[in-house]
Amino acid sequence: MEIATNRSKDVLIVAVSGRLDTVTAPEFEKKILELVTPENLKIILNCADLSYISSSGLRVILMTLKKVKANNGKLVICGLQESIKEVFNICGFTSLLTISENCESALSSF
Amino acid sequence: MRLSNSIDELQAVNNELEQFGESQDLAPDLMFNLNLVLEEVLTNIIFYGYDDSATHVIELNINLKSEIIEIEIIDDGKPFNPLERPDPNVNKSLDERQIGGLGIFLVKKIMDKAEYFRRENKNILILQKNINTKS
Repeated sequence: MEIATNRSKDVLIVAVSGRLDTVTAPEFEKKILELVTPENLKIILNCADLSYISSSGLRVILMTLKKVKANNGKLVICGLQESIKEVFNICGFTSLLTISENCESALSSF
Repeated sequence: MRLSNSIDELQAVNNELEQFGESQDLAPDLMFNLNLVLEEVLTNIIFYGYDDSATHVIELNINLKSEIIEIEIIDDGKPFNPLERPDPNVNKSLDERQIGGLGIFLVKKIMDKAEYFRRENKNILILQKNINTKS
């Protein structure tokens, strides 16, 4: 699991790549929750290079969303691969999250 | 395969699964789902299955017979039927959603059949997936 950040105007783009599993989720949790601050109200989580997620990773995404919402911010997830999209569907995440096909459409949703 | 009750073993499980997938020519989305199911069941056993801090052996068997993948997981932890765990309500709003509890729910949703037995002081979980039907 790796995480990289960049900015497009006032939007923080967080790209997560590799595997979000029981082993890597704690590190992801620490890093992403640090990025959710009252200064970062618009956040895109780019999952284009995310190859795998388990419930440990889903848990962190839910925590991140709750923290963003507590700041009255907005989180958009983009680039989900088919298998991950299916997991999101099963868990009812699709109705909780704003999901975009790619980074460009995610940017235009703010 | 036999593994010990350590999270570090998950990598070895993945490697074993990869080899099985390659030898049986399984589709990538199926491999993703099997990887997920194994991780959820095994982490549950490793984190919550034992009252002591001793090393325990978990036995894992994966077979493909007549287009049905069968996974058998046997552990000597305390009696626990993961299938009895209540499902999380996935239709709740964000404020009401609990953070955890999705793992076993995913296992039940992904697999076509799940059975639990307690036999000779061991937990036996048997999961089946028909690989001709869509997940």
